[in-house]
Amino acid sequence: MSAVRAPDEAHRQPPPRGTSHSSLTLALVGSGGDGVALLGDLLLRMAAQLGLHGMMVQSYGPQIRGGESAVILRVAAREVGYEGDRTDVFVCFRLADLRRFQGAVRLHRDSVVILEQSDTQEMPEWIGRSERETFRYPFARFENGIEVPGDPKNMLALALVCKVLGWPAALARETLGQRFGHRPDVLARNLAAFDRALGGPSPSEVRIAPGEGKALFAETGNEAIARGAIEAGVKFFAGYPITPSSEIMETLMDELPVAGGRVVQAEDEIAAIGMVLGASFGGVPSMTATSGPGLSLMTEMAGLSSMAEIPAVIVDCQRAGPATGMPSRTEQSDLNHAIYSGHGDFPRAVLGVFDVVHARDVMHRAVHLAEKYQLPVFVLSDAYIAQRRQIRGPVGERPPISRRDLWSPGMGPARFDLSGDHGVTPFRVPGTPDGTYLAAGIEHTEEGYPTADGTLHHRMNRKRFQKLDAIAAETREWFRVLGRADAAKGLVAWGSQYGLLDEWVGRHEDYRVFLPEILHPFPLGAFEAWRERLGSLAVLEMSYQGQLYRYLAGITNLSGARSITRSGGMPLQIGELERLLEGEER
Amino acid sequence: MKAKDFRSPLEPVWCTGCGDFGVLKGLTQALADLEIPPERLAVISGIGCSSRLPGYTRSYAFNSVHGRALPIATGLKLSRPEITTLVVGGDGDGFSIGLGHLPHAIRRNVDLTYVVLDNGIYGLTKGQSSPTTEVDFKRVRGLAGPDERPLNPVLLVLSSGCGYVARTHAGMLPHLRQTVRDAIRYPGFSFVHVLAGCVTYQTPGYAQEIYQRCDEVPAEYDPSSFQAAMTAACAERFQLGVLYRRDPGDGPLDASEAPGLAGIWQPRPARVSEDAAHEE
Repeated sequence: MSAVRAPDEAHRQPPPRGTSHSSLTLALVGSGGDGVALLGDLLLRMAAQLGLHGMMVQSYGPQIRGGESAVILRVAAREVGYEGDRTDVFVCFRLADLRRFQGAVRLHRDSVVILEQSDTQEMPEWIGRSERETFRYPFARFENGIEVPGDPKNMLALALVCKVLGWPAALARETLGQRFGHRPDVLARNLAAFDRALGGPSPSEVRIAPGEGKALFAETGNEAIARGAIEAGVKFFAGYPITPSSEIMETLMDELPVAGGRVVQAEDEIAAIGMVLGASFGGVPSMTATSGPGLSLMTEMAGLSSMAEIPAVIVDCQRAGPATGMPSRTEQSDLNHAIYSGHGDFPRAVLGVFDVVHARDVMHRAVHLAEKYQLPVFVLSDAYIAQRRQIRGPVGERPPISRRDLWSPGMGPARFDLSGDHGVTPFRVPGTPDGTYLAAGIEHTEEGYPTADGTLHHRMNRKRFQKLDAIAAETREWFRVLGRADAAKGLVAWGSQYGLLDEWVGRHEDYRVFLPEILHPFPLGAFEAWRERLGSLAVLEMSYQGQLYRYLAGITNLSGARSITRSGGMPLQIGELERLLEGEER
Repeated sequence: MKAKDFRSPLEPVWCTGCGDFGVLKGLTQALADLEIPPERLAVISGIGCSSRLPGYTRSYAFNSVHGRALPIATGLKLSRPEITTLVVGGDGDGFSIGLGHLPHAIRRNVDLTYVVLDNGIYGLTKGQSSPTTEVDFKRVRGLAGPDERPLNPVLLVLSSGCGYVARTHAGMLPHLRQTVRDAIRYPGFSFVHVLAGCVTYQTPGYAQEIYQRCDEVPAEYDPSSFQAAMTAACAERFQLGVLYRRDPGDGPLDASEAPGLAGIWQPRPARVSEDAAHEE
């Protein structure tokens, strides 16, 4: 966890009372089993129904199950990809649990604070102070000083938060009905608790500006990856459970068969990518998803995918590493692995995910590149996106996806024909008459037969790497810029820093930001054009050694640029970014 | 169709006298017998001398990475069920680096035929011991203690629940042809253990010696009996033939046939619906 922080200037300035906020951040803290995650989920669903945007992040311990649980939930009138750094509504069932979430909850003068009535713990200093009266509520029930099961605390809290926000009780009941419709007994108990708290005393109120008027939709990053893959035409998935990527497989298990596809839970990550290559060898768009340790296991076959020119999409939900690292925490330290991993030279493409909304689009692009160029495509998500639930608008129109260029009888070119100029040769799908050939991880002739001819190996390398030039030409616009084009200070970052930096440039007009959507091959031309007339440049990332900085330094002149890095597993917040940019010690 | 219709133009680089020649011949004969169009055939392998075999077949062939032929074949067969999919490889590839995949391929019961060419040695890397190297073998490399005993592949696949288990010898061409043909026809995961000698890194005369230690199962042998198969698997001499063939409609193995395996083969209890979400 990060160090104690003093509330910075921005947080001491609450909006005037009596107005509607354009966004509100709620922090919900409890012990495992209190139903904090469910409470956050219900509130986010309600926000989406009200046409509001927002997102929710969960925090849990390194052993994944048990212990404390916290949810940070932000609701906003516009799309947000950052949970905010000031807590407007704070609900805590047990202050002792707060200790683990130091830095995640930061009160300001106008925060609404709801605590367990019997909790005698002092609020810690670091959390800040609200000038509003603390609302105390008997969430827990005691007999002889021992806590016994009573009404579900999260349902009591749901009613209180609805009163704070002024959200209709009917919507809460409807949302509960959707969630527990299949368990009438649970629904009845939850509704009874909700109604009891609704009829009791009320905390003070804060209001959020009205939403868009039409209902929106909330999903997690992992769900968005899975759904984006289905929309892009993926028909085969094999994977192995690993935090924080497992929900991609779980979502696909539910939804891919409906779309005519197939999902296998493999015996390990090596088998998973093997199955993917087998299915893709059969002509079927295929993918896997994993996290750091699984990615390491898949590396040999990523090389096979490139060498045998078999398309494969590999999603990596980065967590803090190395080895087992911190499975429930986020990081951006698999970038080197995605770009450089494996023995020998082999081309691959690497894409970064900005947020949940972007995740669906990025899967389209990944499948498109893999199928068109017949190589492995890595998609780098991370825990901060994977397990965040974010509200999104309807899915827009997208450019069509390339299907594999297929060989047919009479076409002529050998499977690995060397005469072209973009490295891509028609794919021979089993079942096609006269098309039989040998696919191999061993270096091969144009027909696919093994060879140790050095000249041919070099020419085959060139064939395979020509694909990267073609990809670079096609993807040179695959980046986002934020902020004013004439701002003097520049930041380069990637992936899940997007939401934070989008917010940052809204508050700091002297900054502009460059975020590559494709990391390899890097959209260098666009980057060089963007950095013209910059006064200063910093490369920001969540890795210890500055992997993006070092990568960029290898492909362009970075002299004078700063590398700003912070590992640690928790997403950066704006106040912290401010101090990092001011050059304070990590 | 003829066996040569299933041969690629590539000439094998196996050592003169290698048992793998016999397997290539018997396998292509079996494919010709079954009249499978080459374009509807995929032969998948890992790495090793015998894993070169796909390159010598006219098929959609895939010579992949060490030990991973089964997952690749599983992915192919699941996404393209109409493609007849064979997996070939050696004892090192299948029982050492790739062993973890074998029981899972068996329990998934994907319709693959896995032919393992067992020469009891790492030939491609020049003579190290393999998981089936016998205790008294004078190893060229990879010295191991006397307690490092060989795996029994047939016992292994039987105890994993494989529905079709056969053994043959690379030098017995008609037997091999018939066994492979029968295995491909079996609608489920089938396993064929082929005893194949290495003429370069095994002790001289090893292939012949193995041959002399083989017996075909007697005519009255009942391959539907799991007990008989386990007995055959553990026999001192190599038993050749279809050692076990469970009717594909029979479902999982009947635990009463193998009391020692009862714990493994308990039918799964009905799934209990749990929704503890309100207690999250």
